[in-house]
Amino acid sequence: MNNALIDPFILSQDYPETLTGKLKSGRATCIRFNRKGDYLASGRFDGTIVVFDMETNGIAHKLRGHVRQIQSLSWSRDGRYLLSSSQDWKCILWDLKDGSQIRTVKFEAPVYIAELHPSNHFLFVAALFEDQPALVDISEVKPYIQRLPSAPKRGTAYMDEQDEKQTAQDAKQATSITIFTSTGDHIIAGTNKGWLNLIETKTCKTIYSTKLCNGVLVYLRLTLSGRDMVSNSSDRIVRTIHVPDLSKSDLDPDSITIEVEHKFQDVVNRLSWNHVAFSCTGEYVSASTYMNHDIYVWERNQGSLVKILEGPKEELGVIEWHPSRPFVAACGIDTGRIYLWSIIAPQRWSALAPDFVEVEENVEYVEREDEFDIHPIEEIRKRQLDREDEVVDALIIEHKKDEDEADAFRMPVLLDIDDSESEDEIVAIGPGTMRRKSPGEGRDMGAGEKATARSRKR
Amino acid sequence: MPSYAEPSPSHSHSASHSPERRRVTPPSRSSNSAVSNYDSAAEHQHSPSRPRSQANSRSRSRSNSSHSRSRSRSRSRSQAGSDFHSDRPNGNGSYYSRRRTRSSRSGSRSSDSRSSSRSQSRAPTRTPSPASSDGARSVNSNDIRAAEAELLAAETAAEQGPPPRPFRAYRLKATLRGHKRGVACARFSPDGKWIASCGADASVRIWEVGSGKCIHVLMGHLAGVSTVSWAPEGGLLASGGDDKVIRLWNAITGEPYPVPLVGHHNYVYSIAFSPKGNMLVSGSYDEAVFLWDVRGARVMRSLPAHSDPVGGVDFIHDGTMVASCSSDGLTRVWDTSTGQCLRTLVHEDNAAVTSVRFSPNGKYILAWTLDSSVRLWNYVDGRCLKTYQGHKNAKYSLGGGFGTYSDGKQAFVVSGSEDGGIWLWDVTSKNVLQRIETAHEGVVLDIDAREGLLVSCGLDGCVRVWEVEGDEQEGEESDSKRALLDEDAMDVDAKI
Repeated sequence: MNNALIDPFILSQDYPETLTGKLKSGRATCIRFNRKGDYLASGRFDGTIVVFDMETNGIAHKLRGHVRQIQSLSWSRDGRYLLSSSQDWKCILWDLKDGSQIRTVKFEAPVYIAELHPSNHFLFVAALFEDQPALVDISEVKPYIQRLPSAPKRGTAYMDEQDEKQTAQDAKQATSITIFTSTGDHIIAGTNKGWLNLIETKTCKTIYSTKLCNGVLVYLRLTLSGRDMVSNSSDRIVRTIHVPDLSKSDLDPDSITIEVEHKFQDVVNRLSWNHVAFSCTGEYVSASTYMNHDIYVWERNQGSLVKILEGPKEELGVIEWHPSRPFVAACGIDTGRIYLWSIIAPQRWSALAPDFVEVEENVEYVEREDEFDIHPIEEIRKRQLDREDEVVDALIIEHKKDEDEADAFRMPVLLDIDDSESEDEIVAIGPGTMRRKSPGEGRDMGAGEKATARSRKR
Repeated sequence: MPSYAEPSPSHSHSASHSPERRRVTPPSRSSNSAVSNYDSAAEHQHSPSRPRSQANSRSRSRSNSSHSRSRSRSRSRSQAGSDFHSDRPNGNGSYYSRRRTRSSRSGSRSSDSRSSSRSQSRAPTRTPSPASSDGARSVNSNDIRAAEAELLAAETAAEQGPPPRPFRAYRLKATLRGHKRGVACARFSPDGKWIASCGADASVRIWEVGSGKCIHVLMGHLAGVSTVSWAPEGGLLASGGDDKVIRLWNAITGEPYPVPLVGHHNYVYSIAFSPKGNMLVSGSYDEAVFLWDVRGARVMRSLPAHSDPVGGVDFIHDGTMVASCSSDGLTRVWDTSTGQCLRTLVHEDNAAVTSVRFSPNGKYILAWTLDSSVRLWNYVDGRCLKTYQGHKNAKYSLGGGFGTYSDGKQAFVVSGSEDGGIWLWDVTSKNVLQRIETAHEGVVLDIDAREGLLVSCGLDGCVRVWEVEGDEQEGEESDSKRALLDEDAMDVDAKI
């Protein structure tokens, strides 16, 4: 409700300008905003998941269950459930109401990425390391796992010619990334050979394939509307792609075309990109750079570079754009800090007193005719009270439909999160001497972790 | 037809022309109801076993209130403070006295011109408000007229528009005794089952609304407690007091949370939880407004708010803004996420602002000032939309809030008064919907409203719960006065 009072120039600013903050809890390896943008989940190197409250920049939840680095996080639409995947071969669905693990799914391989179905939080798709991707239904306690194909679908005529060679090649295809479309009816999968497969969720069949690039498709991400997609691949090019409308009931797979809209690359330095993200509206694309400290922001209309975000003195990994504000979060690869970029609005001093006005140039004051007329105070009062005849509605709240849905779940406020098991990697080992904690130190498997943390505290 | 209640004889004459009015206006009737109204309240104040004559109880309450007034204390919070800090810089009386005159800021000249130019064009259409407010002020001494005004107001409120049900008056449901000294603040819990009250005896009490029992007495503050606030969930309660500390309690178990919020340099005056419960805003005598991270018990942001003690703070329903007010006469609106001041509201009189509340939909701000007014502001335009007057408020920082009637479609403003009364105004028409004459002996400090219930507290150490008439079946009492009162209520009902 504060928009009416904020400088419109600030509101019209679309991308962040400066480094404004840091979040620190262990070594974050992946981050994800919830749909409303008030919470940021961060997966840590030690397997702990920390949920930050973006209003207070404090820790709202700590979830312990994984024992290896977290690979990906995915929120349910209402923000109540969180799916995490980890290098310990597990995916866990968390209920943030009480912090419990609702479902745990164990695979036979480490998980690259797992994403929840946009409307059904008991369905997710996971891309696995050197294995077929899986569509997992976890509505029952025992998960129902369906394997998805990695081999691209080719035209029939094409297939006849070099059948054997093709099959041999297709066998080498491995899916490196899977995401749902905005409706959840289809899955978009990227392979290590640069193919993009469109798989129908119901039948688990590939209905369309196209070759996007020659390198590995590392990452795919949709805009909030689901109309556009951004891809990161090992050929050092960031691509934005139009996603065709797949909602038609009589969809003809042959009529689908997926086209690349823009290709962003650094031709001079030949930078490669660690991670890519869309802005909240999808107008901007940002990418963190390999062996470099900057974040590049391009706009999609002209395809030009508009901003290089600087700040931290370390390489940045996963970046994430706030779903509604010009606000970017990225985690540092070395320290695991989460850096926040946003806009610093100067205090409008006209807000400090009702008769202050901000003017561009000096204005000569013109005295009004009756400015210093004296009226009896009583009369003035009476007139003022007279004027108060407006109809006032103090009750009705105007809601947007979207917000209602997101408001359905409210995360409980926990007052007893132990923040003390210390997030720093620097440990004092003697007077004046410090050393960096080796990764994984002080962490036993699973349950032992808390105990050691306690004993260290003592 | 005039759309307001004018409590003058001439009006009742004019009203007799219209058939609807005649039914309610006979002066004898209304005076009766005033007495009965008064009486029922008086009876409840004292235990039922000791019925008092009307005159007796009235004189007693008067003497009491004058006594408490003569002590010249500004609200019980500072009473407690003065007990524990004898070296206070300002006397209690001088605290609210205006320290500076802001002639530069108080745009009296501009308003002059505005009023003269605008009122000419609009004068004929607008008779209602001055008379009602002026009238209300003049009837302070006159019970009969007040009651008449009240009834008329209820009637006219019912006439305006097509509300399905008219305003139904509140009557005393229970008196909660237990506090040993004045009670500064009383609030319903979000689920409406509990009441938290706090007072100068340094205790916070949790009451069950249904039974009126005191469930917990939360002791831990070292000085008087000025303010309590419920978190939206989980029975979490915060209280702030003259020991400069904000404490968090589990109201279900009565246990305190171990880490209090420490940081203010002086008495904590007012606190409010954010709608999500993750933040807390506090205003203090040290002239600062703090935003707290509740989970971490740390100051998230310190707002350089005011140049005088902060009287009240409140959160908007979506948590994006915070309002604060101070005895320097300013009401300020802050952006929660950036900590910047977004708007400042000043009335030209620059009277000390003691309490502030956002409207339920967040579009307006209600501010209590020490010139016996409650003002409704459109903070976006910075305009004062309504002035509610009639109650008495010159020294204490009174509180109140918004309530609803006619099935939640209409809103009223409720406030206490320093003469022991409770006032309810219709938000739009500014008419007095109800005036409870002697709700407490002495100052009524705070009121909270919720779905057909009011809770009030005052310097007399009592917490009183009021309920809408006709919501429940009649209790054990069946005296003639009660019956008569009900007849009146039914009368209004039947007319619609």
